[in-house]
Amino acid sequence: MILSLLHTFGYGQKRCTGVFSGQILDERGNPLIGAAVVLSPTGKGMVSDVNGNFELNEICEGRYTVTVQFLGYNQRVIELLINGKGKTEQIISLQPDVQTLHEILVEEKVAHLETTQNYAVLSGSKLAETAGKTLGESLTEISGVNTIQAGPGIFKPVIHGVHSQRVLILNHGIRQEGQQWGAEHAPEIDPFIASNIVVVKDASSIKYGTDALGGVVIVNPAELPEEAGIGGTLNFIGQSNGRSGTASGLLEGGIKNHDGWGWRMQGTGKRSGDYHAPDYSLTNTGIKELNFSGAVGYHDELKGFEVFISHFRTELGVLKGTAISNLDDLIAAMEREPPQSTESFGYDIGEPRQKVSHNLLKLSAHKKTDNGDWRVQYGFQNNNRKEFDIRRGNLAGVQSIDLKLNTHTIEAEWETPHEGINSLCIGVNGMYQNNNNIFGTQRIPFIPNYSNFSGGIFGVAKFIRNDWVFDAGGRYDYRFYNAKGFDFKNASYNETLTFGNVSVTTGATKQIDPNQTVAINISSSWRPPHVAELYSLGTHQSAAAIEYGLLLNDTTNEVMNIKDVPFKIERALKAVSTYKRQWRNIQIELSGFVNYIFNYIYLRPTGITGNIRGTYPYFRYTQTDAFFVGGDLMAVWNLTNRIKVTPQVSLLRASDVTNNDHLVFIPSNKYELSVRFEEPDQYKLKRFYVESKLKYVAHQGRAPRVITPRQIKEASEQNIKIFSGNNDSFDFMEAPEGYALLNLSTGFSINREKVRYDIRLAAENVLNTSYREYTNRFRYYADDLGRNFSISLKCNF
Amino acid sequence: MTKYSRTNKIKFQFFALMLGLFIFGCESNDPQKEDTPELITKATLTFTPEGGGAIVKVTASDPDGEGVQDITVDGAINLASGVTYTLKLSLINELAEVSSPEYDITEEVKEEGGEHMFFYAWTDGIFSDPTGDGNIDNRDGLVNYQDEDAGGLPIGITTKWTAGAASSGTFRIVLKHQPELKTTTSSVDTGETDLDIEFEIIVN
Repeated sequence: MILSLLHTFGYGQKRCTGVFSGQILDERGNPLIGAAVVLSPTGKGMVSDVNGNFELNEICEGRYTVTVQFLGYNQRVIELLINGKGKTEQIISLQPDVQTLHEILVEEKVAHLETTQNYAVLSGSKLAETAGKTLGESLTEISGVNTIQAGPGIFKPVIHGVHSQRVLILNHGIRQEGQQWGAEHAPEIDPFIASNIVVVKDASSIKYGTDALGGVVIVNPAELPEEAGIGGTLNFIGQSNGRSGTASGLLEGGIKNHDGWGWRMQGTGKRSGDYHAPDYSLTNTGIKELNFSGAVGYHDELKGFEVFISHFRTELGVLKGTAISNLDDLIAAMEREPPQSTESFGYDIGEPRQKVSHNLLKLSAHKKTDNGDWRVQYGFQNNNRKEFDIRRGNLAGVQSIDLKLNTHTIEAEWETPHEGINSLCIGVNGMYQNNNNIFGTQRIPFIPNYSNFSGGIFGVAKFIRNDWVFDAGGRYDYRFYNAKGFDFKNASYNETLTFGNVSVTTGATKQIDPNQTVAINISSSWRPPHVAELYSLGTHQSAAAIEYGLLLNDTTNEVMNIKDVPFKIERALKAVSTYKRQWRNIQIELSGFVNYIFNYIYLRPTGITGNIRGTYPYFRYTQTDAFFVGGDLMAVWNLTNRIKVTPQVSLLRASDVTNNDHLVFIPSNKYELSVRFEEPDQYKLKRFYVESKLKYVAHQGRAPRVITPRQIKEASEQNIKIFSGNNDSFDFMEAPEGYALLNLSTGFSINREKVRYDIRLAAENVLNTSYREYTNRFRYYADDLGRNFSISLKCNF
Repeated sequence: MTKYSRTNKIKFQFFALMLGLFIFGCESNDPQKEDTPELITKATLTFTPEGGGAIVKVTASDPDGEGVQDITVDGAINLASGVTYTLKLSLINELAEVSSPEYDITEEVKEEGGEHMFFYAWTDGIFSDPTGDGNIDNRDGLVNYQDEDAGGLPIGITTKWTAGAASSGTFRIVLKHQPELKTTTSSVDTGETDLDIEFEIIVN
């Protein structure tokens, strides 16, 4: 894919004799005649000639934005640097304005991306085709992204094998702060809020703080309208599996006679009943979701400000058959199919269930001055999570986890003016966070109350030399925790911890020729441990295992001071390289990565304990060195001008280096092949397409050893300590077989006056294959989802 | 209303909102101690011989709950051959206040008899009545339940046992929580386990 071609032969005096020229091509490499090319802020422009060529003269050296438009094609916006003397050439390809898989590869103007080249974008029709899915599930369209799943409604994004505390999620530029420590905690974001979602696969976005050891997920809204007029979209999605309905609407506009002012309102409602596997209903997996957001702001060329609020609320049922207690229950559950308590379809959501809400208020402002661009933003987030287990007596219906997390973030940054070939951005950010257990659960809290003060300072620099772009950045972060909780005896503790360290990143991008770029980034970043990793105590219903935090004593289980524990900061050293190339009708994007995480914190099986309820294995948060290596391939092959073949491959290997062992719950290799037929305009049907997608997920052959609950139980009865001497990781069940799924979809648009209707029909798991996914925590209990038909209607007005 | 005062009002509302959020966000995080009624830290078995005689009492306790310490049992169950005993179970949560309804779990189980059932297993031959080895590995195994729920199904807080010939073995008790699952055929594999303990047993 073409990004930019930069021929800058030195940069002497500003004499405004620069020439900007190039050629506009269509998706098959043929010249486009009559495309409009506008160079801002000069305002100069022209249309391409019969050979697709254009030339603009008397351009001063500096950074410019080129906008290329041609009827029937998507607009392209490119930022580039123009040489003040010689000639700057640029070949620009346009993509037809049809529902196209290209869009994932097409470069766009994406907010919040400063340096990196190792990223992928989900936008346009590709994003629209995931409508009705959760954020985490939508992201799996991107190669290199998987999910950790807990049933059909809970998806956590996994980038290059790591997740939760190691993946940073930015919602409207604000770090998403929810209860992300549990595998059954999904990000609290309405996917309809996004106009594009960017996944940064390296840790270069160090502007946003620590925690991006695996990568960053950036959820970007569209920019607010600046001119009068009103527009919007309406989405209706119905799905057969779960018999669900989703409705989402968006309304936005400017204000008459007040250019620059814009507003947007958006809301989504979703209701789903029990999902079903091919052979049985997955009882109690319904979803109720209601989200809304609003934004208002003012923008002109020099300044702008914005107020944004959003509310997210969901209630999720958790598969009834996962409600178990001890190892015997797990043995029975694993051997039983269908799961216990399986009933016919229903919309009721009973215990176990989760109720989660997330509110966000964001205030942001920016101003361009001669001395640089200034940006400030403040965010307030309020997250509430309630989990309801099946409980006894007057505790039935009483939440067993009830947490309220409030987070204030404040950020300020300054960037050099957008001209010249060197740029620098520096900034500070601060966070104050307060986590409270709401009284009334009648259980010793799983994690303690805590307050968290964090502060960071960063600088990112970028240099352009000939056809190279170099970037480098560094940041320092400090974190203070005060944790107040109760230990196993229900005795209180109060601990104070501080952490501080630096992260650095460096990268380079080389434009080899107009059709090839290669980028590499190396970064070393750290993250402070999460309070859950330090102090967790308790049993997860459905896990049949007890978890102990890092700071709990091995034998007495009492809370220890961090100074008395051999704790070391977790730090990743990650290198990612991406190569992009375009031939006449083939585009490929190939990336490879290595990520060595020192002092990787994970749950390690440590022993077996008995209590009155029976026998349990227990896991302790421990540290090791972990190594992740892998590669992603994505290609688009335009077989003819109507048929497109898109292969996608994600490969990953992970190992525990210290213990020479495998890590548990690492996504297996994934291969996808889609064939798509497109007929841009036929009679009244526009943008018609049919797509067939085959997805193959391989068996995870590099899984830890298997110790069945029965073996643990027997060992315990015979007083054999199976974990002493060998506490390698283990799993209760063999990794499931590989599986292949076939998905089909078709869609078209109809234009009626000013309204465009996009209609889409899809079938997932067409062959109704029974399968279990290795990274789905509920694979011990039930098969994954069976066939699903969906219909979606989108009106754009 | 003048434009000026309206702006002021909006400003005031905005600052009130911000202040509210700030106070809301900065509230104290001193946690309050929870009662933990679900924990059973002590299970006591009381065997009372029919027609008088020495009461046999054994206890299993796990004072650290979710902690790493294993469960402890204060000795074997010693019964006299040929004697018929009434066994009463008592489940206590020592972490709760004695006056609290959550202290005596047995009471709670009784009230929710329709959702709970005790299952028993023992070394074959320990008892002359019931015969067999209990109803854990086979739901149809005989156990002399002395109580029942509103639906007429056994609970098992009170049971009756006649010791057989002198021998020794094990005696296991499992309490299952079976909300909407308890039936005439629901077994030890149904529902969630609230209690699972095993004792040595000796018949003299």
